[in-house]
Amino acid sequence: MDMTYAAATPAVEKRKRSAFARHIVAYLFISPWILGFLFFTLGPLVFSLTMSFYDWPVVGERSFVGLENYRSMLFEDPQFWESLWITVKFAAIYVPFNIVMSFLLALMLHHITFASGFFRTAFYLPSVISGVALVTIWSWIYSREYGLLNFMLSFVGIDGPNWLGDPNLAIVAIIIASLWGLGGTMLILLTGLKAIPKELYEAATVSGVPGWAQMVFITLPMLGPMLLFTFITSIISAFQQLTIALLLTKGGPLGSTYFFAMYIYDNAFKYFDMGYAAAGSWVMFIIVLLLSLGVMRWSAAWVYYEGEVRQNDGENNA
Amino acid sequence: MLNRKSIIGSLMVLAMAGTATARAEEILRFATWDTDESLAIQQEIAKKFEEKHPGVKVQVEPYADGYDQKLIAAFGAGNPPDVMYMWNFPQYYTSLKPLDDLIAKGAAEIKPDDFPKGLMNTVRVEGKTYGMPSGFTTQVVFYNKDMFAKAGVEEPKDGWTWDDLRAKAAKFRDEPNKVYGFAVDAKPDPYDFEQFLWSNGTKYISDDGKKIDGYMNSDAAAQVLDMFADMAKTQEAITLNLGDDTSGSTLFKGGKIAMFQSAMWSKSGIDASGIKYGVAPLPKFGDKTAHSALGVSAISIAKDAAHPDLAWEFVKFFSSPEAVAMRVNDLPVRTSVAEEKGMTKDPIYKPFFDILATSNSETHAFLKNANWGKVQDNLARAIEATMIDQGNAKQHLDDAVARSKRLVK
Repeated sequence: MDMTYAAATPAVEKRKRSAFARHIVAYLFISPWILGFLFFTLGPLVFSLTMSFYDWPVVGERSFVGLENYRSMLFEDPQFWESLWITVKFAAIYVPFNIVMSFLLALMLHHITFASGFFRTAFYLPSVISGVALVTIWSWIYSREYGLLNFMLSFVGIDGPNWLGDPNLAIVAIIIASLWGLGGTMLILLTGLKAIPKELYEAATVSGVPGWAQMVFITLPMLGPMLLFTFITSIISAFQQLTIALLLTKGGPLGSTYFFAMYIYDNAFKYFDMGYAAAGSWVMFIIVLLLSLGVMRWSAAWVYYEGEVRQNDGENNA
Repeated sequence: MLNRKSIIGSLMVLAMAGTATARAEEILRFATWDTDESLAIQQEIAKKFEEKHPGVKVQVEPYADGYDQKLIAAFGAGNPPDVMYMWNFPQYYTSLKPLDDLIAKGAAEIKPDDFPKGLMNTVRVEGKTYGMPSGFTTQVVFYNKDMFAKAGVEEPKDGWTWDDLRAKAAKFRDEPNKVYGFAVDAKPDPYDFEQFLWSNGTKYISDDGKKIDGYMNSDAAAQVLDMFADMAKTQEAITLNLGDDTSGSTLFKGGKIAMFQSAMWSKSGIDASGIKYGVAPLPKFGDKTAHSALGVSAISIAKDAAHPDLAWEFVKFFSSPEAVAMRVNDLPVRTSVAEEKGMTKDPIYKPFFDILATSNSETHAFLKNANWGKVQDNLARAIEATMIDQGNAKQHLDDAVARSKRLVK
């Protein structure tokens, strides 16, 4: 062994050097992205953190205030807690619905044999529509007098409610409109379903394992990483919900759809209080970070990665 | 070779021509929030200015709906327009040029006394003048003469009260046809809404800008809100902006409401609709004097304007009798122009000017406190909540005051 190693050394050195050169080329190739990341992501990120310690009006004198923005937000601003609570409520309903419905749709598309291409396109199509167009469509659907939704309800004898004008219903309306774009999540889960080896199901069927057990013991575990990924991205997008609320309800009625992202937006672009808005963004960042970490840790209990040998399995083998 | 030389040669000629024209023309940037007709009028005024100042080009920049965002971005980037429309003086005044010295120097030409005192109040911060008014509107009540004649209701008169308005409005109520006497807005612009508090003897915030408790939530303020809520409840008025965005002017033009409280900005649309209408002053609360909100378009000069002297020439021209007379979409800010045009006697225009005379003793809340924008959002919510609740104004206003405590110190 030693002999071989010693003999190989010069060659390894040489290969190392050329690897380094090759890496330089690789870095040069990805440098546009790296520079973009430094200037347009990391730079603003650090800058906003600095800003959050300042009283920073766009016009006029800026002054260092330390943690004052954070203190005032957490302890004196009821709007902060209200908007945060609305966002948490939204996320608590939106995230499970988004995943369960995407999963069911993906399952359907996976098994369907008739016109599967058509259905796949039909379900994914809404995700392609950009935010403003989507909101315009939904404002027509929800309109009290002329809306499609209340028109359809009238056929079954229901006098449709004032969807966007009722403080209790507006948030429901926004959840429904948000769920319309679940095509992306659905597509990820569908890809996951397609990647599960057929042999597993065949073996299970041969052994007489019933369908529901195949779902619980094969499909769900094999889909684990995909579910975890969609779970985390759904949480993040739920916390960043802005477009629909901003355009469909403007945060109303009575602030019932005043999301946290909108609170930050207003502080920045309505009140031009940039430092306070930056502090809000960092609070959001920390909340999302903690939630994601929590989910990741929790996921160790239920997500199974193929090719990953668990520690206790290893011990058993030894 | 020859070819290339001739190309380089012609490029050089072009470049020289370019610098020559650039030197001949001085470009003055002027930002406005107006669109359509009002914008066209300002472009006309700018053209007149160019005629009087050869070699000057006025670049009119219409920012429209995104005005505040675009303007503040321009200031933030250190590249503001030379001259701009302005209303939010507390937000910008540190970046604007004070005009008092210039006005004093040019007093013979400007005739500062020709501008009503109430209008000049809206362009001052901490005693200094940062803009010149160029157009304005007060608030009035438009009424449909045909509907009044048909219903046999007597038309409003000078000095009428809210009780009078309510009694008249009740006579138009026709639920099956969705016809009403008046419209109340669940989401009024709080800026304009303060006129009702003034008219009822109170205001949003103390004159030193430090106290809202006992002002915004005073009994007099709650009385105003409760009155509007009650008008909605008794269907003397239809409620606007409650999950439905049909505008009051659409209803008025369509003959669905007999009276409509608004300002100059509704007039050209009502004219175009062809209905026969009259204009009444804002009603009074009992025997108290009615006050109106003042919507003023002023123009200001950036402190770091690229062409400060030219900018001042432009501002002077913009508020000169000649330019003021050209603005037919709002009202003349110069008393002399209004009188010359006979507007102060014309029954359609008279109510706008009459109330201007009594609306110079109060100052709009946003001029008193830098945080007013945030306080105002809490207030707007209290107004909306009162309209949804059809009452309980005091409770909602108390809530708004509590929520705003942090902002008013």
